Amino acid sequence: MPHFTNHTIDIQQLPKYEATLLTKPDPKYWNIMVINLVLFLVFMGTGLTFLILVKAEIKENWFIWTGLLLAFVAFLFLIFRLSFKRRGFALREKDVLYKSGIIAETTTIVPLNRIQHVALNEGFLSRMFQLGTLQIYTAGGSSGEIRIAGIPIAQAKAMKEALIQRLAIHLETVSE
Amino acid sequence: MSVNFSEPQRQSAAGIITSVLYAMHQIVRAVIIPLVILVVKSNKEVLVYTSIGFLFLVLIAVIYGYFHYLNFTFYLNTTKQEFVINKGVFGRQHLTIPVEKIQQVNINQGFLQKLIGVYSLQIDTAGSDSKEVSISAVNGQIAYALKEHLLNGDTKQTTAVQHNLTHQDFVAQEIPFLKISAATLLKIGLTSNYGRSFILLLGFGYAVFHNIKELLKAFDNEHGQVEQFFKSGFTLISISVLFIVIIAILLATNVIRTLVKYFDFQISRQERSLLISLGFLAKKNTLLHPNKVQVTEYSQNYLQKKIGLFNMALKQAHAGKEQSESEIKRNNMEIPGCSPLEKDEVLRVILGKIPQGGTRYAPNFRFMNLPFFFSVLLPLAAYLISFQFIPETIAFYPLAIIYVLAVSLMIYISYTKHRITVSEDFIIKQSGIWDISQEIIEPHKIQSISTWQYPWHKSLDIGHVTLHTAAGNISFNYGNYTEIKLLVNWWLYQVESRQKDWM
Repeated sequence: MPHFTNHTIDIQQLPKYEATLLTKPDPKYWNIMVINLVLFLVFMGTGLTFLILVKAEIKENWFIWTGLLLAFVAFLFLIFRLSFKRRGFALREKDVLYKSGIIAETTTIVPLNRIQHVALNEGFLSRMFQLGTLQIYTAGGSSGEIRIAGIPIAQAKAMKEALIQRLAIHLETVSE
Repeated sequence: MSVNFSEPQRQSAAGIITSVLYAMHQIVRAVIIPLVILVVKSNKEVLVYTSIGFLFLVLIAVIYGYFHYLNFTFYLNTTKQEFVINKGVFGRQHLTIPVEKIQQVNINQGFLQKLIGVYSLQIDTAGSDSKEVSISAVNGQIAYALKEHLLNGDTKQTTAVQHNLTHQDFVAQEIPFLKISAATLLKIGLTSNYGRSFILLLGFGYAVFHNIKELLKAFDNEHGQVEQFFKSGFTLISISVLFIVIIAILLATNVIRTLVKYFDFQISRQERSLLISLGFLAKKNTLLHPNKVQVTEYSQNYLQKKIGLFNMALKQAHAGKEQSESEIKRNNMEIPGCSPLEKDEVLRVILGKIPQGGTRYAPNFRFMNLPFFFSVLLPLAAYLISFQFIPETIAFYPLAIIYVLAVSLMIYISYTKHRITVSEDFIIKQSGIWDISQEIIEPHKIQSISTWQYPWHKSLDIGHVTLHTAAGNISFNYGNYTEIKLLVNWWLYQVESRQKDWM
């Protein structure tokens, strides 16, 4: 080993994950979230209308029930907006970062040499907006995995390619 | 004689008998109570038909067992280092397991298998495509040879010599470094796992109750005698005596369960692996590779501290998302009751050395806020409100005081015990209230890391961290967030700068 060095490591000098610049999901992804919310509202609204027509007690207090539904949807809207604003991801040289959360702000970091496999999903709506969801699996179970939604499809494909390539390199070095 | 595994081969011929008997055993167990009822209640004609039907079932089991045996082959592909199993009576199933993914091979011998003189072999794998494979009947020689091939990868000629050895020689050639005596098991039975025995006892009690009722019903004699007996029982025996009896039964169950389960527990070293054997009637052997242990845990409660005993658990990767209770149990090798010296020896084998030193981190006192709110304040408020509606509850106020004091104390203890110790090579998480456990992981076993913080803790600089490993999560909560971030960067550096495999 000609280039072997063994410097003392100053923990303070290590790269800081918390200072990494994060990429936000594509603004178009917010449209998808809103469409999902509207679909939910339509679905619930239809159910409620049906109930109002059939049940007498609900018919009497229809404004309370409609108000409740609207308040619930408004609450969901707020939560979605908050969670959308929080999201961000970064592909570093040696790991992937993803920040998210509704109340608590969670940052998950997956080192590249611990990735088991990578999946790229395109839903029906996502395809219309040319977005993709990148899913990164580890052996650590579902709680430690990363699912990044709303990446422009071209970028997502490039990221997946990059991750898989590193995976292959890692496997080769191990098997040697 | 070296056993050649590169050619497809069948199970031991006696395997037909085991698979037939196993099928029969399942059938009989499923229909025994309805059958008894039928025999008691029915006339001759029905009996004849039943026995014909039963014979027919036996015939089907025999035919099925025979074809199952014929179609079941296994072999080791030495060039690709894959273990292949072909099986299936109606459909064909083709299983391929890369040898490097095998993390544990179990050789078991149940009572029935002991009679015929065969062993069953069970292969546990890790990874996203986790499939559990088992061969139900092979003779001892093949079982141990195969196990060696599978766990040590390359098929060296030197190891082939050992294949001649019978099972007894095989175990005897290594002196176990850990042996748990019946006396130790007795002590462990008296001091641990009350919860599990309690559940077992409940289940057993219910089964007895239910079956007696069923039988009485079958004889048309059911008039609620069982319930009557219990009712009169409660009035005759005072509650306190009953309480003592229950505790005595609980302890006795606990002791018997521990004795039967871990009878003759031994660990010996086997080249690069650990050979663990245990069992009372059915002997169970497990070969375990130290590299594949993800989390090493030891625990001790107040009583065990006084007598100097530890419980240990070696947790292996479980990866797959669908995990049944029994799978988790099988992945966790438990060592009941070892002395401090034996504990250190196991740690040395698994981790290479005994963890020492390191920096200890303690949580903020706000750790207690949420549990205190949900387990003390909320129930107390509910109780106080109940005064308004049900005045009778006021009489129970001493119980409420005891509850509040006990739970507060438990929360406080859990806060004082929640610690994480970080050194160059290890991360040790301590937790618990009664059983204080220490979970040890090596940094390169980390799969991913999550950190999180509530918005109202931002100015206080309090945060949480979870280390995800293949054998479960390890969390440190309500710590100093600045320190946690430093640690996370340090762990990431350790995982990413070294090409150390996690299994």
